Amino acid sequence: MAGPDEQRIFVASQWQLMWWRFRRHKVAVASGGVVIGFYLAVLGADFLAYADPNASEAQRSLMPPQPVYWFDGWRFSPHVYAVKGARDPQTFKRVYRADPGQKISIRFFAGGFEYRFLGLIPMTRHLIGVDGGLDAGKTIFVLGTDVQGRDLWSRLMYSTRISLTIGLFGVTVSLVLGVVLGGLSGFYGGIADTLIQRVIEILRSIPTIPLWMGLAAALPRDWSILQIYFAITIIISLLGWTELARVVRGRFLAMREEDFVVSARLVGCSQMRTIFVHMVPSFMSHIIAATTLALPAMIISETALSFLGLGLRPPAMSWGVLLQQAQNVQTVAISPWLMIPAVPVIIVVMAFNFLGDGLRDAADPYGR
Amino acid sequence: MTELRRPPRKRSLRSRLTVALAVGALSAVVVVAALAQSAGKSAFIGKLEGPEVVTDPAKLPRNLKEAPQLAALVKAGKLPPVAERIGQDPLVIKPLREIGTYGGTWRGGFTGPADFWNGYRCCSGPDHLLFWDYTGDKVTPNIARGYEMQDGGRTLVIHLRRGMKWSDGRPFTADDFVFWFEDIYRNKDLIPTPSAAMAINGKQGEIQKVDTYTVKFKFPEPYYLLPDVLAGSTPLGGHAQQGMNGMGGYAPAHYLKQFHPKYVGQAELDKKVKDAKFDSWVRQFLFKNDWALNPELPVLTPWKTATPSNTATWTLERNPYSVFVDTEGNQLPYIDRVVLTLAENLEVINLRAIAGEYDFQQRHLDLGKLPVFIENQQRGNYKLHLDPGDYGGDMIIKFNLSYEADPEIAKWMNTTDFRRALSLGIDRDQINETFWLGTGTPSSVVPADSNKYNPGPQYRKLWATLDVKKANEMLDKVGLSKKDGEGYRLRTDGKGRLRIEIMTLGGQFLQFTQIAEMIREQWKRIGIDLTVQEVERSLALKRTAANEQQLGAWNNDGSEHLFTFPLHVFPWEVAAVSTSGPLYARWFHSAGTQGKEPPVRMRELMEKFKKAYGVPEKERIELGKEVWKIAAEEVYIIGVIGMGPASMGVRVVKTNMGNIPSRQYNSPDGKTPTISRPVTFFYKK
Repeated sequence: MAGPDEQRIFVASQWQLMWWRFRRHKVAVASGGVVIGFYLAVLGADFLAYADPNASEAQRSLMPPQPVYWFDGWRFSPHVYAVKGARDPQTFKRVYRADPGQKISIRFFAGGFEYRFLGLIPMTRHLIGVDGGLDAGKTIFVLGTDVQGRDLWSRLMYSTRISLTIGLFGVTVSLVLGVVLGGLSGFYGGIADTLIQRVIEILRSIPTIPLWMGLAAALPRDWSILQIYFAITIIISLLGWTELARVVRGRFLAMREEDFVVSARLVGCSQMRTIFVHMVPSFMSHIIAATTLALPAMIISETALSFLGLGLRPPAMSWGVLLQQAQNVQTVAISPWLMIPAVPVIIVVMAFNFLGDGLRDAADPYGR
Repeated sequence: MTELRRPPRKRSLRSRLTVALAVGALSAVVVVAALAQSAGKSAFIGKLEGPEVVTDPAKLPRNLKEAPQLAALVKAGKLPPVAERIGQDPLVIKPLREIGTYGGTWRGGFTGPADFWNGYRCCSGPDHLLFWDYTGDKVTPNIARGYEMQDGGRTLVIHLRRGMKWSDGRPFTADDFVFWFEDIYRNKDLIPTPSAAMAINGKQGEIQKVDTYTVKFKFPEPYYLLPDVLAGSTPLGGHAQQGMNGMGGYAPAHYLKQFHPKYVGQAELDKKVKDAKFDSWVRQFLFKNDWALNPELPVLTPWKTATPSNTATWTLERNPYSVFVDTEGNQLPYIDRVVLTLAENLEVINLRAIAGEYDFQQRHLDLGKLPVFIENQQRGNYKLHLDPGDYGGDMIIKFNLSYEADPEIAKWMNTTDFRRALSLGIDRDQINETFWLGTGTPSSVVPADSNKYNPGPQYRKLWATLDVKKANEMLDKVGLSKKDGEGYRLRTDGKGRLRIEIMTLGGQFLQFTQIAEMIREQWKRIGIDLTVQEVERSLALKRTAANEQQLGAWNNDGSEHLFTFPLHVFPWEVAAVSTSGPLYARWFHSAGTQGKEPPVRMRELMEKFKKAYGVPEKERIELGKEVWKIAAEEVYIIGVIGMGPASMGVRVVKTNMGNIPSRQYNSPDGKTPTISRPVTFFYKK
């Protein structure tokens, strides 16, 4: 006889079943947290950044990351040491010396440059900052600075915003294309099916990087940064829909003859109602999983394109742009911290993959 | 996110901090010592020096000697003896330090067929009739044995070297000049528009043969600047540089006649052109006359192309008929072969130079990597030199003064105080420290104080200092006092914010885009909204020619030779990577029949410039100073940082190479390092 647990399973809705299954995949849950964290950073990029990402200052060019000291004696009082820099006339490197006598306290929710939170609310508060706002004498650079003396942490925050939203936009376009074209292909079959499937095969047979490069190179070079941004999103998504379309088509084919679809049709449901009320919800979970898995690919493609100098260009900021600027000998030799933007790329891509993996398992709660 | 990243950061930071502290403490001592010695002078900038051309007949060598492999060929009867090959009047060069030894391969890097100047700058000798001494100031004989001005500046007589030969052993004579003038220069298919270099005050000159070894350049009016024009990087600047354009002043008649319709039947030529798959005989002719692409071409240069520049390695080998010799009569060059390997990416060239894979490389080395170059000197077995230029702008910003697409912007760019205010809004010290590592000089467009055309020390900083307050006052005063909520100035026609666009090129010797971004930040303080647009080269040329550029970033290298290299002084080029006004340039070159008439002060500048060609040097120097005065006062071009080593001034040389100057005159007119006569470079045993 069924115990109370199994009783629970019998009456649970599909979403509940999925959630229970998903919770068992610990790494996926953790990854989900990471992904949510990243997207919160996207929303609050200006809040998390503590310096104007475009504010340059020669006197702090290529400053290494400053170590943060959390305690002053036994008292919790995060601070960094003031730093003095000068160019060594022998080596031509900029040399920075920390002065332990001069502490700069880090304040939480400190005032800083002006911005509009979520693009709406004017604010000057930032997560961290120093007393009396930021001036050239009192600064913190937790991840160091680039050649122009711009704060890498703040630039990274703004880059995260662009790199992660480009993924979202791209996936949305792919999703719409994939469901519509995949659905048409699977539901109607025949010529539509053949045509769409052949197009997919052709698109998939072309190696992606050269194809992106070709398309990106075809973008008019006199477009503004914003236009390039959208064009690149569209390019990436125009190639990204194929996989999803295949999945959707497969599900449609499988489900077309299922009892509940046949009954719906016999009862006299319209085609639209059959598709959207009966069929789509039953493979919604698959779409979500597929979407999650498509996101990292989008992020990687933007980063790769920008890294190759074909995607976004400065003064736009994205992970790829930051990495492209770190793509030189002197970065490796004297300022390795400029390669830090590779770290979030790795983390977010892995997190998305684990999350997608967990969701896919969960989407089929009865599977083994 | 923060949690995830923290642990690795802390550890690497500590060790780096320790190193930084140690280096800091050490360098503090060094800094003090260095500052005590000389403020700002770097150990990598040496004394300007170089070899000299010997013209005193008493000092000419008697016996001529040659490289061992050529001696072997002579022995085998495949080459005539060296004295016969060189002729009676060798071009004698006194090496900078010592007589060298023969042998070795000079390894360098280049970036493809478009990088012509790379191989040309190292290996052409040069083959100019006249050339500069190592200071870049005085014209000396070169391929020509001597010259004299006659007829009040209307005639220049050129004496050629008796018995001198092309690289295929055929004599080099006055006929090669006549052929060039009559059959190339005057052929409308090859040269559709006559060159300004062959004209004075718009009146064309001509070349006449006097005898086998004497030619005359004759002009209807005095053309005192002609020796400078022959020495500079101009359309009369020699066969190697200009052959591919059909210019140069002379050409190997005996070889080129077979590709010219005057000397072969049109039908036969058409067949030849068709068989070789060229579009037209003109294309074929110019290709055949290309020093870097056609290994068969007879040349006068000390090295000649063996594998052309459109292959993966551009190889140049010694010319057995080279007319260059040292003071002991050794035929130059000392170095057997030059091998330039293709690197499509500048980063690769820099990496190879750092790894010590090049023997002498100057082109494409990035000033931003200076610390890395210095650090690796011992490991790479090379020595680093810096060769700052004499020109006022490693980076300049040109206003397109004949801009028309947006009347409001055009109006402001033509307002002197607007241009001055923009210049005052640039914090040059910041830019110098960031991108020049402090090695440049904040400057207006005028050349170095030592330059003969320099109008005076007070022009160095004229409108070229940072003065935000004054800049704001000036902008308010010209009528741009209204600002928007973000503090940017508004257009006067009510169409919102005054947005100005600057066009930059990526992948250059300097990171113009990044510097422009920094200027954009600085101009926020004077309420000017600058948009930075990085474009690729061909688009830049298209846009300037179409008069679409507003501001353009570039350098004014070569402008210290005001009259032979005026490209970046006033509107000169129609299609340039950065322009001062294509319509004005057209007006200037067409003597006012095309384009648009420039404003009064600009016309004054152009007038003085033109006049200087026809007057003796003393007067010309005065006119040159006047030109620079107007340029600096009017700020047609903003000078940002100058007299630095940013463009081709970072030089990496193997420690075993001899006769290397510690500092060279660095300029396109000097074709640096040609001005240091690479024919005298050699490998120490």
